[in-house]
Amino acid sequence: MTGSAMARKGVFFWIFMALVLATVLFPIYWILITAVKTPLENISPVPTFFPKIVTPENFVKVMETGFLRNLMNSVFVAFTSTGISLVLAFLASYALVRHNFPFKLNLIFLIWVLVVKILPPMVLSIPLYTLFTKVKLINSHWGLIMVYQVYTLPYCIWMLFGFMKSLPLEFEQAAEIDGASRMKILTHIVVPLSSGGIVATAIFSVIIAWDEFLFALLFIRTPSLQTLPLKIVSFITEYETLWGELMAIGLLATLPVLLFSGYYYKRLTDGFSMGLK
Amino acid sequence: MNSINSKKNSSFYTLIFLPALLVILFLTIYPVVNTLFLSFFKYNYLSDDRRFIGLKNFITIGKDQVFRTAFLNTILFALFATVFEVALGIFLALMFYGQFPGKRPFMIMVIFPMMVSTMVVCAVWKVLYHYDIGLFNYILKSIGLAPVGWLTDKTRALSSIILVDIWQWTPFAFLVLQAGLNSIPREIFEASSIDGAGYFRNLRSVTLPILSSQILLVIMLRTIDTFRIFGKVYALTQGGPGNATETVSYYIYREGFSYFNLGRASAAALYVLAVIALIASFYIRGIMKEEN
Repeated sequence: MTGSAMARKGVFFWIFMALVLATVLFPIYWILITAVKTPLENISPVPTFFPKIVTPENFVKVMETGFLRNLMNSVFVAFTSTGISLVLAFLASYALVRHNFPFKLNLIFLIWVLVVKILPPMVLSIPLYTLFTKVKLINSHWGLIMVYQVYTLPYCIWMLFGFMKSLPLEFEQAAEIDGASRMKILTHIVVPLSSGGIVATAIFSVIIAWDEFLFALLFIRTPSLQTLPLKIVSFITEYETLWGELMAIGLLATLPVLLFSGYYYKRLTDGFSMGLK
Repeated sequence: MNSINSKKNSSFYTLIFLPALLVILFLTIYPVVNTLFLSFFKYNYLSDDRRFIGLKNFITIGKDQVFRTAFLNTILFALFATVFEVALGIFLALMFYGQFPGKRPFMIMVIFPMMVSTMVVCAVWKVLYHYDIGLFNYILKSIGLAPVGWLTDKTRALSSIILVDIWQWTPFAFLVLQAGLNSIPREIFEASSIDGAGYFRNLRSVTLPILSSQILLVIMLRTIDTFRIFGKVYALTQGGPGNATETVSYYIYREGFSYFNLGRASAAALYVLAVIALIASFYIRGIMKEEN
């Protein structure tokens, strides 16, 4: 580290560090304290940096507005979309890794998957909306799960393909000599070997579906079917003054994801992969 | 010879490849073809009145002042958000280079903003920006300045939304860039320091050129993501005040889902598609290079 001017960590370094951390953490701190302040304190023109009274009131009220229902909706939609994407992506990636399809299909498909990742979802929304209305999949979680494949499937294929490219052939060959069926080789050899990649892919895919807003807004009409981002936005745009409850929901919606920060950090520092995000 | 790779199993591989292929095709080819088709029609979804009008939608939209504003806003948003996120990301990556006490917990804290759900991010910034009860105006007032309509002033609303995006996504740029920086062998820096290169010369002639592929990657990922900006606009300003924060995604949303002019919304979507295709061609070329 000697010689490199970048490595010198002097007093300026720590001043900058303090500024960076303050900028990053302050809004998160504000979520936290707004959630535990009383409604009256939250609409005071003189904001308080430390709550005068700490109250669970907002959390209690949020529970009464059907928060748990929305939470369950989000959990169901995010996990089911991810589950479906994982199965489809796992099978397809394995086929792409182990088999050369004719007409350069492997390459064309992977590029197509990338194009889908790049497409703004708004471009797809109109035809999908009219189609799903026709087949009565509007205002239904299953409709949402299907349309979320636009996000989660390309992501899962790209990630799993990256992981499976490096799988050794030997185990599969040995199993085949032992007379195992193709399906059995997949479930008993390939799945365990790629379990690390599957878990990582699943986590990020759940986060993507968990945060999705556009299609949820277009497809879900009934409040009891709303996912958390919709619930939050209805608080932002409709009930302008319930800041405490809004932040309480925000906090509860964010905590499960925030817990993965350490994991995210680890994955990204292990070496950045193009497939991320 | 192994049969894992052989032609014998080709039906098996086709079978397991097919479901994903069909889903992807269905979710993309159908909508794109349909959008293309609809864009030639005057089609109101509510009245179900559908008439072929050729290229008229494209012409109307091209002349529409609101669409032009939306397009300009989108480009401004994508440009400024990306530039600041990448620049700050480089700064942070350089700052976090090397060892120092607390590095790991500090880094994990720095990536918190990108882990917070976008709608929650919007919620807290909306409180901070609030004209009457917001912290920012309180600070301005307490040092004797006039309060500012962060989200309600035409000249300021767009930059306020850009700031929120910068807060949320700079950590992403930082993470990618620091991973790139850490993969550069330390000897390179040492060698050029021994040659007597100062910090900034070192930065300009050694560090940034080596990081260039990561920088390019972040620029592309952030451009793609900021170009589709919708959620923040919806939650923070609904495109207002006036059309000050209207973006192309928001324009399509309004044409399609508030006015139900599906033909016109489809034509707008195709304009966006054309721009995205341009960005994507660079992106894919970059990826192909990486893959080889």
